[in-house]
Amino acid sequence: MAGKVAILGVGMSKVDGAKKDTKLDDLIFEVASKALMDASLTRKDMDGVVIAACDEIDGRCISSMLEAAPAGSYLKDEIKVTDDGAYGVILASLRILSGLFDLSLVVSWCKMSESPVSDVMRMRWDPFYHRDLGMNHITSMALMASSYRNKYGITDDIPARVVVKNRKNGVKNEKAHLQTPITLKEVNASPIASWPLRTLDCAPESDGACALVLASEKKAKALGANPIWLTGFGWAIDSYYLGERTLYESTSLKIAAEHAYKMAKIQHPFKEIDVAEISDFSSYHELIAYEGLGLCNPGKAKDLIEKGVTEKDGKLPVNPSGGLLSSNPFTAAGLFRFAEAYMQLAEKAGSHQIPDSQKALVQASTGFCAQGNAVFVLSK
Amino acid sequence: MKRNAAIIGVGQTPYLSRHNYMIPELSQQAALQALDMACMTMDDIDAVVYSMAPSEFLGVNDPDKWCVDSVGSRNKPFMRIHTGGATGGSAAQAGFFHVASGLYDAVLVVGADKVRECKDSQQVLNTIWDPMYERQFGLNTIVMAALQAVRRIYRYKTTEEQMARVAVRNWKNALNNPVAHLKGNITVDDVMKSPYYCWPIKKYDTCPSSAGGAAIVIASEKKAKKLSTQPAWIKGCSEVANTVFMGDQMGGAAEMDYADWDELAIAAKEAYRQAGITNPLKEIQVADVYAPFTVCELSIVEALGFCRKGESEKLNETNFFDMDGEIAVSPSGGSLCTNAIAVTALARVCDAALQVLGKAKPTMQVKNVRNAVATGIGGSFQFHTLMVLGSDHN
Repeated sequence: MAGKVAILGVGMSKVDGAKKDTKLDDLIFEVASKALMDASLTRKDMDGVVIAACDEIDGRCISSMLEAAPAGSYLKDEIKVTDDGAYGVILASLRILSGLFDLSLVVSWCKMSESPVSDVMRMRWDPFYHRDLGMNHITSMALMASSYRNKYGITDDIPARVVVKNRKNGVKNEKAHLQTPITLKEVNASPIASWPLRTLDCAPESDGACALVLASEKKAKALGANPIWLTGFGWAIDSYYLGERTLYESTSLKIAAEHAYKMAKIQHPFKEIDVAEISDFSSYHELIAYEGLGLCNPGKAKDLIEKGVTEKDGKLPVNPSGGLLSSNPFTAAGLFRFAEAYMQLAEKAGSHQIPDSQKALVQASTGFCAQGNAVFVLSK
Repeated sequence: MKRNAAIIGVGQTPYLSRHNYMIPELSQQAALQALDMACMTMDDIDAVVYSMAPSEFLGVNDPDKWCVDSVGSRNKPFMRIHTGGATGGSAAQAGFFHVASGLYDAVLVVGADKVRECKDSQQVLNTIWDPMYERQFGLNTIVMAALQAVRRIYRYKTTEEQMARVAVRNWKNALNNPVAHLKGNITVDDVMKSPYYCWPIKKYDTCPSSAGGAAIVIASEKKAKKLSTQPAWIKGCSEVANTVFMGDQMGGAAEMDYADWDELAIAAKEAYRQAGITNPLKEIQVADVYAPFTVCELSIVEALGFCRKGESEKLNETNFFDMDGEIAVSPSGGSLCTNAIAVTALARVCDAALQVLGKAKPTMQVKNVRNAVATGIGGSFQFHTLMVLGSDHN
């Protein structure tokens, strides 16, 4: 069986609503440089670069043409995956585990402020059956939310409490986009975005970039580094057609989690994981992810919320960074989650540090209603 | 330690200007062919890599997600690779890493494209450039190739007739390839008389806009040996990226020259090292190369080490690169005759693999192929991929 991959450093930008004064290439250069500095390495040391980005949101075909160089790829072995940013970690890890690469940068970014995101998402639907419905990411998330609500008799307060929790956590994260706490009342009074989702149930639109330095086990040891380890990962995808899926649960997440847990030898995720960073594109996403990740039984996510188990001071803190409900650099979202989990284990999370964390869980997703999911287990 | 992996199945639909099939259907047709050759069904596949370049030709964003069910990927690991024109080469490498990492034993790499779904592919390709400086003066990939040709003329006194000979050979080779888009017996005169698109690039110096699907099945050593009598072992692979700005790819402080494709030479050096190849001309029998314009092939064969810089023009006037020459370059007709962008570089891997598997059409098959290489090119001739396939693993 394959070995493990070391995480040596991270570079994360501040996440904002609109980074009007920073060009995308400058933003990318900033985080790639920061990650290298954090790992005490230089670009010359890298033997590979993996990029994860989305052309349509970047507003140019093959956006990596311009962005590969600021991401550190000049005359390097570079490859791009077009899914969530965390898929960059998967591809870089596969390359490292193959033995052909020792040190790799992973870079992802998103400037939602410069893109008509709703139109970009609508164009992701096939032109024959779905596109004329005018569905975008918000309306399709709402279908998922109403399916979950209907199945388990969820009332407004449960998802609203997820929002309150994550926004409260975001206040302490200086890199978060939204750093103001909100109340249950405010969430429930916010306008409907697409029923049952209220505007505050949905992640904001943010700009940000993130980079990581990954290394082979051998290289990390040779460098005398004291890294955080990626001990398990898995990913899977579900059908494109929403009618083919049961939207109140995430089959692809369950499968991805099984793979990751098996690789990381995790048997009781709830007991063994100390902190989790998951992709809460909406408050319901977080609830469905608890169940898909096996942190509770189907339909029981509300118990975790009601009992405060996933609060920052709870037994299993989820999204102590504030999650996507506080900052959502969309296609880079998963890499931010991964970086935040790394910060927790490396004890670099500052004011939102969860003390004594040994194992962290990361979930990222891609496609409509989390069609594809990736799960990672990090360990000290 | 790297695990050995091999291509044991190859599938390609015919490449046409227009297919009456949707992208999920074209992907499925290619996937089923590849699975059939690999003696597998969709159930035997552990993970899928989808090869999809810019989606703007199709007008469907992230069409890979649409194809999940049609390529049998539901509930399996799935990712989309996109490195511009080099996408198929990068996707094949990503598939290889799935197996070489030890995590998976059977991986399907599949994709499809319909470049002519849009009003004008060159209009789409204008948007690969910088919105402030480059888009405005109508830069597209034909202009990009013309700039390379001009650079080559400046450095090596290349003539348009020498470029034309590349087209003549590729069109002739494509006659042997049942799936090639353009094929025929054309003459240097035909090429010379064809209209200029952008001097010195003429109609016959240019690839078509194609529609079609391509797929390969990559298997671990154990599976490959069980299911195939002659697997195409992936002996080496590499890719190299350069800056987007063509002006920075030559002259001044540049480490490279736009006429030479030295980036591909770097990738070749690394892939040959992995494959244990020291004398490429002797050890490699087939190179199926991504040359979407005639002039590109002249630079590629030099970068691959088959001759010295500036020599390819003269050698191309002999039978050096022919089917029966020193090194068979693009027996399939290559990218000059078929270009369905998302899978063009994957088609090169398919055609190189067919030569090693011994499953090319008899007239297209080169004899005694021990090693074959496939290249890919993307962006402003800035992303280069290379894969070495062989009849034995090292």
